[in-house]
Amino acid sequence: MEFVATVVILTCTYALLAAGIVILYKAGRVVNFAHGEIAIVGGYVFYSSGMMFSGGEMSPWLAVLGAIVFSVIMGAFIYATMMRRVVGEPFYVAILVTVGIAIVLKSAIIVIWRAQHLTIDVGIAPAIRLAGGATLSYMDVASVALTIAFFIALYLFFTFTRLGVQFRGTAENPLLASQRGVNVNLVLSLAWIIAVLAATLSGVLYGGRAFLSTESVTIGLAGLTAALVGGLDSLRGAVIGAFVVALAQYLTVRLIDPVLSEALPFLILLVVMSIRPWGLFGTVEELDRV
Amino acid sequence: MQKKFVFRGLAAATIAACLAGFSPAQAQDAYKIGYITDLSGPLASSYTPTWEGFELYIKALNDRGGIGGKKVDVVLDDDGLKADRAVAAAKKQTERDNVLGIFGLSLSSTQGPVYAEMRKIGVPVITTFSGILDALPPAQPFSYSTGVVFEVAGDAIGELIQNIKKGGKVVGMTIDSVGGRAALAHNKKLVLAAGGQWDEVIFPVATSDFTPFAQAANEKKPDIVVGHYGSGQNLGVIPALRRSGYTGPYVVASYGVTEDTIRAAAQRAGSGDNIFYVSRYSSAFDKNPSVAEVAAAQKKYGTSKPFSSMHVTGWALGKFAEEALKKCGWPCTRDKLDKIVQTLKVDMGGLTGGPIEMVAGDGYGPTYWRLYAWNAKSNEMEPKSGWVKREAKGYK
Amino acid sequence: MARAGTNLRTSYLESNEVLRRPYQKVLVGLILVAAVLLPGGSSDYFLHLINLCLLACIGALGLMMLTGFCGQISLGHAAFLAIGAFTTVILTVHLKLPFIVVVPAAAVTGAMIGFLVGLPSLRFRGVYLAISTLAMHYAIIFVATTYQAKFSASASAGITIPDPTIGPLKISGAPTWYYFLLVLLTFITIGCVNLVRTRPGRAWMAIRDRDIAAEALGINLTRYKLLAFMLSATLASVSGSLMAYYSNVVTVEAYTLDLAVIYVAMIIVGGMGSILGGLMGAFFITLLPYGIEHLFEFLPRAWRFGSTVFGVQVGAVGVCIILFLLLEPKGLAEIWRRTETYFDRWPFRYRPLDTTRR
Repeated sequence: MEFVATVVILTCTYALLAAGIVILYKAGRVVNFAHGEIAIVGGYVFYSSGMMFSGGEMSPWLAVLGAIVFSVIMGAFIYATMMRRVVGEPFYVAILVTVGIAIVLKSAIIVIWRAQHLTIDVGIAPAIRLAGGATLSYMDVASVALTIAFFIALYLFFTFTRLGVQFRGTAENPLLASQRGVNVNLVLSLAWIIAVLAATLSGVLYGGRAFLSTESVTIGLAGLTAALVGGLDSLRGAVIGAFVVALAQYLTVRLIDPVLSEALPFLILLVVMSIRPWGLFGTVEELDRV
Repeated sequence: MQKKFVFRGLAAATIAACLAGFSPAQAQDAYKIGYITDLSGPLASSYTPTWEGFELYIKALNDRGGIGGKKVDVVLDDDGLKADRAVAAAKKQTERDNVLGIFGLSLSSTQGPVYAEMRKIGVPVITTFSGILDALPPAQPFSYSTGVVFEVAGDAIGELIQNIKKGGKVVGMTIDSVGGRAALAHNKKLVLAAGGQWDEVIFPVATSDFTPFAQAANEKKPDIVVGHYGSGQNLGVIPALRRSGYTGPYVVASYGVTEDTIRAAAQRAGSGDNIFYVSRYSSAFDKNPSVAEVAAAQKKYGTSKPFSSMHVTGWALGKFAEEALKKCGWPCTRDKLDKIVQTLKVDMGGLTGGPIEMVAGDGYGPTYWRLYAWNAKSNEMEPKSGWVKREAKGYK
Repeated sequence: MARAGTNLRTSYLESNEVLRRPYQKVLVGLILVAAVLLPGGSSDYFLHLINLCLLACIGALGLMMLTGFCGQISLGHAAFLAIGAFTTVILTVHLKLPFIVVVPAAAVTGAMIGFLVGLPSLRFRGVYLAISTLAMHYAIIFVATTYQAKFSASASAGITIPDPTIGPLKISGAPTWYYFLLVLLTFITIGCVNLVRTRPGRAWMAIRDRDIAAEALGINLTRYKLLAFMLSATLASVSGSLMAYYSNVVTVEAYTLDLAVIYVAMIIVGGMGSILGGLMGAFFITLLPYGIEHLFEFLPRAWRFGSTVFGVQVGAVGVCIILFLLLEPKGLAEIWRRTETYFDRWPFRYRPLDTTRR
C-alpha cells in the first residue's frame, strides 16, 4: 500500500514536469533545461506569497494566487524577452538560453530566499493510516487529485477550445498557422505559461512532501528523463515516462542500492535512447528534425 | 544599433570593473585573523550561526577593549562550500590582508586543500567543523581543529546511544559522502562491540525526497535510528521516518544541526517525541553561566539565525582564538602563533565537558560529548547523560 | 600600403596565415613578453587566479574544438575533467608513477573515454546528443564517487596528490606553475590553431554547418566526430590532471554539472568557433566571480555577506550566457575583431564585408 502511494505521488510530481517539457517541445522545439529550477522557484513563490500578509500562518488562497501570477508573468516574460528571439538560430542557442535561465533562477533562490530549506505546510496532518503504521497527508491526496485534474483540463483545452486547436496547429506547422490567422505569439506564450504553471504545481507538491532547496532542482532532470522516455512530443508518454522513472527509482532504493538512485534516471535514459531514441510514444521522424 | 552599443558598454564596464577590483590593502594596528566558511552554499544554515557565534565573541572582546588594547580584526570570506574558492580566499587573506591565522572553514572537502596550501606558507589553520584527520595525532603541522571530526563523532554516538537502549538493532543513515561513511563505520564498530546489531541506509547527496529511504530504514525493524548528516537531511528524514510508521528513538548527530531545525522537523513530523541529539558543545538550552554569557551577547548584538548550539560552537572558537592571541602578545607573527597553539590549553567553562587541550603532535585533543533529548512539550533540549570523554589518539 | 593589404590577398597561401595583419605579430609578441614578465610584478594571489585561468583555458579549448568547431554540444565536460583527476589519483596514489608519465596517461584515458562518450553522436544530433552526454556525466561521476568512498585511504578529506617533479625540478608555488602552464598552453594553442586550419578543422566546420552536406562532400562523419570527442576529452583530462596536481587535492564533489555549464559559458562568452574566443572566455568566466567579489567590497558590509555575493556570482554566469547568446552570439572574439577592424579602417567607417553579421 505504502509502496503504491509513494510511487503514485512521485509519478505525479514527475508527470507535471514532463508535461511542461513536452508542451514546450511541441510548441517551439525547445527542450527546457530550466524546468526543475522553475518548479522549485515556483514552490518558493507559492510559500512566500502565502506567508506574505498572514504572519506565520499559511494562507492557501493567497499562495495559489501568487503562484498563478508568477506563472503568467514568468512564462510570458521568458517567451517575450528570450525564446521569441532564438527562433531560427542554431539549435544549441535555445537550449543554452534555458541553461542560462536555470542558473539565474538558482541564484534567485540564493539571493532572495537565502537558499533556505523550505517546506510547504499545507495540510501535512496525517489523513489516512495505511497498514503497517505509515500515513498519508491531505497534501498527498490533494496532489494526486490536482495532477489528475490538471491533465483532464489540459485534454479538454486541446480538444475542445478554439485556442487549443490553434495550439495544435501551431505545433504542427507554425508558418502555415500564422498565415491562417493564428496569433502565434499568443499561442507560444500561452504554452510557456501552461508549462510554468505545471512546473510550479509540481514544485509545490514536492515542497509539501520533501523540501525546497537549491539541491532539489535536480527533479528537473528526472522530469526531463520522464519526457524523453515517454517521447518528447507525446503528452500521454509524459505520464507513462514519469511512472517508469518513479517506479524504477523506488525499486532501486528498496531492492538494489539506494546510492544508485541518483544516477538511475540517466541509466534508464541511456538504455531508452540506444534502443528507442524517440521514446515510447514519440513520433519517429521527430528525431531527424532536431 | 542602440541596444548593441549599450551591451558593448556593459561588457566593457564589467571587464574594467573586474580588473579595477584588484587593489592592495593597507596594514592596520590590530590583530588580523581570517575566517572562511560557507555562508551561501548547501550548508550555509549550519555554518552561518557558527560564524555568528565567533563574531559575537570578537565583538564582545573588542568592546571590552580588545587584547592588551589592540582590537581583533576578522577578515571574513565565503567559500560557498567550494574547495577552489576556499583556497583562493585563504591565499587572498594571507597575502593581501596578511592575516595571522585562518579560522572556521566549512566541510571536509574545503578543509583538506586549505590545510595543504597553508602548510606550504606556514599559516596556522584552526577549523571548527567536521574537521578531517589532519589535526589528529600524529598531527600535520599548522593543522588544528576545535570541531567535530566524523570518525570521533561516530565513536561518541556509538557509545552514547547505549544510554537509550542497550544492545538492540541500530540503523545508521547517511548521505553518500566520504565523511558520512567514515562516521557510520565508527558508529557500527561500537554498536557491535556493545552486543547490538547494525544495518545502514546510504542515500545520494542530492536527495530531497526521503520517503523511500525512510521506508527502507523502517523495514529493517530498528530499535534506534541514527542520522549522520546536516540540517537539511534531518528536516526531511524525521518527518519521512514518522510518516513511514517508525516511532522509535531517532538520534541526530550534530554535524551543524541547530535546535531550531529539530523543532521544525518535529513540528512537521507531528510529534517531537523520541528525538535525541548528540553534541560536542552545549545546547543553547543548557542552564549554565557560560551558555548564559553567549545568550546575553546574542541579545546585545543580535544574530540573523535563532540562538543555537552552533553559536556556542563559534563562541568557543572565539574563546580559543583570544587565548592564543593573548599568549602570542604584540606583535604576533604566524610562527609564534603556531607555536602557542601547538600546546594551548583553554578552559571552556560550561561550553563543553572540559578544556580544549592541544599538545605537540595533537591538534585536536580530548573531546567531550553529551546526549540530549528533545522535549516536545516545552520545545527545549534536555541533557540525558553526562559528558563522555573521547581521546584523539588511534584514528590514523 | 599595409592597410590596403589587410583584406587583399594575392595568393591562397596568404589566406592561410594566422596573423594576417602586421601589427598582430607585434601584439602577440608584446603579449608574450608581458606574460613572461608578469610574475615579477604581481602577488601570489593574483598569479593563483591567472593559473586557474590558464588551467581553464586548456579545458575550454577542448570544449571549443568539440562544440565551437564540430558543433557537437556536450554537457559532459566536468566528467572529462574528473577522468583526468581520478586517473591522476589512481596512478600517483596506488602506482606511485611520476608526473611525466601520469599526465600523458591521463590524456590517453581521456581519449578513450571521449571515444566512448562520442559513440552516441553517431546516432543522435542536437538536443538528444546533449542529453546523452548528460547521462554520461552522471555515470562517470557515479563511478568516481564510489571509487573515492570505497578505495581511497584518507577518509573524509578528498585524496591528496603530492607536488609534481620533472627530473630534478619540483613544480610548486604559483610562479613555477605559471611558467609551466604558460608554456603548455602556448603549445596547445598553436596545436589547436593549426588543427582548425587543416583537414580535421575544416571537416569539423563542415559537419557543424550541415552534417548531411559534409557527408556528401566525402567527409567521414564517424571518424571526425569521434576525433573531436577524443580531442576534447583529452584536453579536458589533461586540464583535470594538472588541476589535481595544482590544488594537491582531488575530491569528486568538485565535478558537478554546474562546472560543465561553466565551461559551456566560457565558449559562449568567448565566441563559438574561435580559438581566441575560447581563451578570452576562459579568462572572463574564471575571473568573473572574483571580480564581483571585489566589487562588493565597495558596498556596505551588510551587503557583502550572507548569500548575496555568492548568489550574484552564480547568477552572473547565467546572465552572461543569456546576454551573449541573444545580443552578441559570436562573443568576445567578435567584439575584439570589430575593435580591430575599427582601428584598421580608421578614419573611415566602412564596414568590411567579412564582419557583417548574419
